[in-house]
Amino acid sequence: MIELQDVSKTYSIAKGRSVPAVQGVTLQVERGEFLVITGRSGSGKTTLLNLVAGLARPTSGRVLLDGVEIWKLPDAEQSRLRNEKIGFVFQFPSLMPSLTALENVLLPTLFAAAKSDTKAQAGARERAVQLMDEVGLSDKLDAYPRQLSAGQQQRVVIARSLINRPELLLADEPTSDLDEQTEQEIMATFQAIHARTGVTVLLVTHSTQLIVFGTRALRMQGGQIVAADG
Amino acid sequence: MGLIRLARRNLAGSSFRSWVVFFCAALMAGFVIGGTLVIRGADSSLRLALERLGADILVIPAGNEARIESALLMGVPAHFWMPASVADQIAAVPGVVAASPQLYLATLRGATCCSLPEMFLIAYDPATDFTLRPWLEQNLEGELRLMEAVGGNHVYIPSGQDNILIYGSAVDLVGTLEQTGAGLDQSMFLTFETANRIARLSYTLAVKPLEIPPDSISSVLVKVAPDADVHQVAQQIAAAIPGVAPMEATNLFKEQRLQLLGLLRSIVVLLGITWLLAMALIALVFSMAVNERRREIGVMRALGATRLAVLQSLLWEAVLLALAGGVVGIAIASLATFLFRDLIVGLMGVPFLLPSLSGVLALGLAGLALVLASVVVAALFPTLRISLQDPAVSMRE
Repeated sequence: MIELQDVSKTYSIAKGRSVPAVQGVTLQVERGEFLVITGRSGSGKTTLLNLVAGLARPTSGRVLLDGVEIWKLPDAEQSRLRNEKIGFVFQFPSLMPSLTALENVLLPTLFAAAKSDTKAQAGARERAVQLMDEVGLSDKLDAYPRQLSAGQQQRVVIARSLINRPELLLADEPTSDLDEQTEQEIMATFQAIHARTGVTVLLVTHSTQLIVFGTRALRMQGGQIVAADG
Repeated sequence: MGLIRLARRNLAGSSFRSWVVFFCAALMAGFVIGGTLVIRGADSSLRLALERLGADILVIPAGNEARIESALLMGVPAHFWMPASVADQIAAVPGVVAASPQLYLATLRGATCCSLPEMFLIAYDPATDFTLRPWLEQNLEGELRLMEAVGGNHVYIPSGQDNILIYGSAVDLVGTLEQTGAGLDQSMFLTFETANRIARLSYTLAVKPLEIPPDSISSVLVKVAPDADVHQVAQQIAAAIPGVAPMEATNLFKEQRLQLLGLLRSIVVLLGITWLLAMALIALVFSMAVNERRREIGVMRALGATRLAVLQSLLWEAVLLALAGGVVGIAIASLATFLFRDLIVGLMGVPFLLPSLSGVLALGLAGLALVLASVVVAALFPTLRISLQDPAVSMRE
């Protein structure tokens, strides 16, 4: 499903200097896999995830999603692909502060390429409510992000990532700010979603303890994949 | 939920930015509408006052030029006299096709014999008049009869009375002229015969008599032949009749027009400065706002928002604030211009005529469009910059 061919990403910083974040990575992820990539901070995990999602343009190499090179697509097609095929769970708080939990879950449907009619909107709302129920927050539909704990916010983000029934779920350090118990709950949620829907999951984390939740694990160091983990 | 609703919710979440942009939009709209209402209104007023005069040349006793302008524009009564024979002398000047004398009178202040105090009264000669006649023929089907008058737009019959008391004599108000915004709106027009009768009766009916010196007139309105040069005719009048000042209609209110031009320049400069500062402030505020929300915008892109959708969402915020601020600014400026009209006229020394409601609405819509365009332009650069960034760059700290 995902194919990276000798992909590198270098960030330019001040005074003409540049920092390589990902160097010559070649990787294949099959449909239905739950791949956990571990590595220390600055090892290039997040950049790798951004490259896969088409959020960062590779300096060299090719990124293919279902055989399509993302960066060769026009902006509208890239956006449609992200909207329809990919669900995101970020490391940082990524809910819109001015929207309620339910509205946040519905947000990706706002950007759907085909403008949804009233019936489709009602369907989306029904699904959003169901997803909120699945992540255990059916009583927080109208709560604003500031009224939710970090763990609850992350559950809302997971619900949002699933609203458009994605084929690929990308999670960037989804438990980094959470206590151990909540971390276990969130990871169990990912595992359950993977088992139930068969969605391909690519999760990056600094914690090697989380590799047990995946079907495969890799380790990154210095912008390169250095070993199969676990 | 659509992009507009998303924009509205975002605005509610950032009140400081919203208030700054709202205030700037209100200021811009208020300034442009207030300034335009006053300047255009004053210009209309001067033009209508000249049209109402209806003559090519106004001849008055020399040295009274400022007083007649003040009387015509501000309604301040003027008294000056010259021999009635001047009218015949003017009529004999080559190029003059009509010369009609007028008397300038005024009602008394604080006297029970005059129901409207210090009102400018203009008596005309129906035999030679050419300025009021067309209006009378069209609206009253004939001449004013004895003890009848027509009034400017602001002349009214006092409540509880059937007519207007002038020096103790009852005068019927039989018609009202269209509004000019100038002093003529507070003036009354009557015939020589009516004026002389009021003057005669005033010795017994009024607390103070109305004195009209015998064989005297205040001014002569002159109509020039279409093929004659108005300036040359005015010069000929000045040369032929000593002691008079022929004022060409095109030169009337020259000082007021210059004053208006100066005011217009000041308003344009102030408006320009205000506009630039407001635009810079809006651009700065939007730049700060999108920088603060970089991560949020990156997330929107990651969730499938196109660059255009991000741009639209941010610009909708600018549009909503511009509309709200613009409407409030226009409403306040229009109301203030209406409520403080007398104060503004006093400060400017030039009257102004407020346009009709539809005129104000049209002006308001034009002002709103201008403010809308300005706010969108000011917000465009920072929003365009952020919408063109790669989402990963936007999301980085």
